[in-house]
Amino acid sequence: MSETITGSEAGGVAPPASGPWPIELDDVTVRYPNGVVALKNVSLSIAAGEMVAVVGLSGSGKSTMIRTVNGLVQPTGGRVTVGPHAVSELRGRALREARGDIGMIFQAFNLADRASVFHNALVGRFAHMPTWRTMLGLASAEDRDMVMRSLDSVGMLEKVWHRAGALSGGQKQRVAIARALSQEPAVMLADEPVASLDPPTAHAVMADLEDINASRGLTVLVNLHLMDLARQYTTRMIGLRAGEVVFDGPAATATDADFEAIYGRPVQARDRLGE
Amino acid sequence: MTALAVRAPIAPPRPRRLAVRIASWTVAAVVVGAFVGLDIEWDKLADLPGDLVHYGSLMFSDPDWSMLPEALRQTWRSVSMAWLGALLGVVLSTMLGIPAAEGVGPLWLRLPLRGLFAIIRAVPEVVIAIIILTVTGLTPFTGALALAIGGIGTHAKWTYETVESAPGGAVEAVRAGGGGLLATIRWGLWPVISPELASLALYRFEINVRTSAILGLIGVGGIGDMLTTYTQHRQWDTVGVLIIVVIVVTMTIDAVSGAIRRRIMEGAKVRGVDRSS
Repeated sequence: MSETITGSEAGGVAPPASGPWPIELDDVTVRYPNGVVALKNVSLSIAAGEMVAVVGLSGSGKSTMIRTVNGLVQPTGGRVTVGPHAVSELRGRALREARGDIGMIFQAFNLADRASVFHNALVGRFAHMPTWRTMLGLASAEDRDMVMRSLDSVGMLEKVWHRAGALSGGQKQRVAIARALSQEPAVMLADEPVASLDPPTAHAVMADLEDINASRGLTVLVNLHLMDLARQYTTRMIGLRAGEVVFDGPAATATDADFEAIYGRPVQARDRLGE
Repeated sequence: MTALAVRAPIAPPRPRRLAVRIASWTVAAVVVGAFVGLDIEWDKLADLPGDLVHYGSLMFSDPDWSMLPEALRQTWRSVSMAWLGALLGVVLSTMLGIPAAEGVGPLWLRLPLRGLFAIIRAVPEVVIAIIILTVTGLTPFTGALALAIGGIGTHAKWTYETVESAPGGAVEAVRAGGGGLLATIRWGLWPVISPELASLALYRFEINVRTSAILGLIGVGGIGDMLTTYTQHRQWDTVGVLIIVVIVVTMTIDAVSGAIRRRIMEGAKVRGVDRSS
């Protein structure tokens, strides 16, 4: 493994990413090995500190798009830049360091259910931890402190030694947010973060993301398929349909007709979350 | 052309299924050939029930219970052999099996590893023991080593299949957070697969308990060794005791180990999980 201890990063907390970062997609195309083209020549410019919703039906390419931002999916054409990182050009250690500055939460929470809440949140420190500490799950005092503060900020501190699998869906997603916040990221990505949650919990998690954007000033990019959540919580909306950007404008004033253009069909009851 | 309308409809030609037909005939030929080649004396089959009663009464009518302590001592050796073999085998299988999984190891590593497992699977434990005993001699340790190495064939296969069928969410989260390959295996994969691997390890122990009795046949010690010796000396009253011990011990271990495996896979009985959020 190339993850040897390097200088000042050993055991300590690396300096947090400096302020929010812009995200640039320049003519990005993703063609999967099976021939499916998930993104077609997408160009986007998201300013530092913006809160942006990406709206589209499943299969529209929004999951693929958000994964190109942290390099989980590498574009087959074009260029992705996040702050100082040319993500689409990076490999190996440089890519892992870039990912360390980009937080991400998922629809299925993606926690290790058998591990404790603490160790799940500690994953957010891995980009800065020496390998032996990672393997043993032994946090330095600074990393431990960072994890505890992140858990506290989402109200999950008292569950820190519980098994992640014993939590409810809403609690799991908050642990996942704490995991991402432990990274001290400059950008927060969220892929359908509320699609597995009941309406009140969904609103609570969206409010958490709104707060992360407002009080921490992070750039937030969130995939949604529900129109009312996009309108209520985000300032800008990008509509994806069949891998292409078909809408880009303010979210609050987007009309039902705009959503119909994005969905490619009439608006239905299931496109709204309600209360 | 009008005649066409009154003719019978033209169905597509029936598929010949030549391969299926050849396979059926081959299987039939093998079955018949096996019976002819074995030269079975069918009339002796009639004596089987009588013989069973005869030897059964020799073994079980008046078992020599004075042999019980020695039988238990040898059983303990067999179980130790099985346990040590399972421990060694599972550790080796885990270390070799995880890199052999798709998505973990690269192709140039996966293929030779899987080839190795396939070769080991093709060799029976007894043959492996015979090869090893040229080095380590006729000791229970030889038996344990044979069980460990022989176990890799199937156990490493179970390991990489477990890895490949594990849900990948936690793995994706560790990668997204900037973790490297080792971190991803340790905190994305291991918590997900470890219960199943633990269960498989216990199952491997159960299998080894049974196999260790067979390994005794070549003289590496344990209950199988004792069974062979007393059968050859036709001391049926002792053989009866040994068979009872083997059956009772094997069934007990199966039952206990099976209960533990269920507990691992299903988790503790829920006493009241906090479902409020």
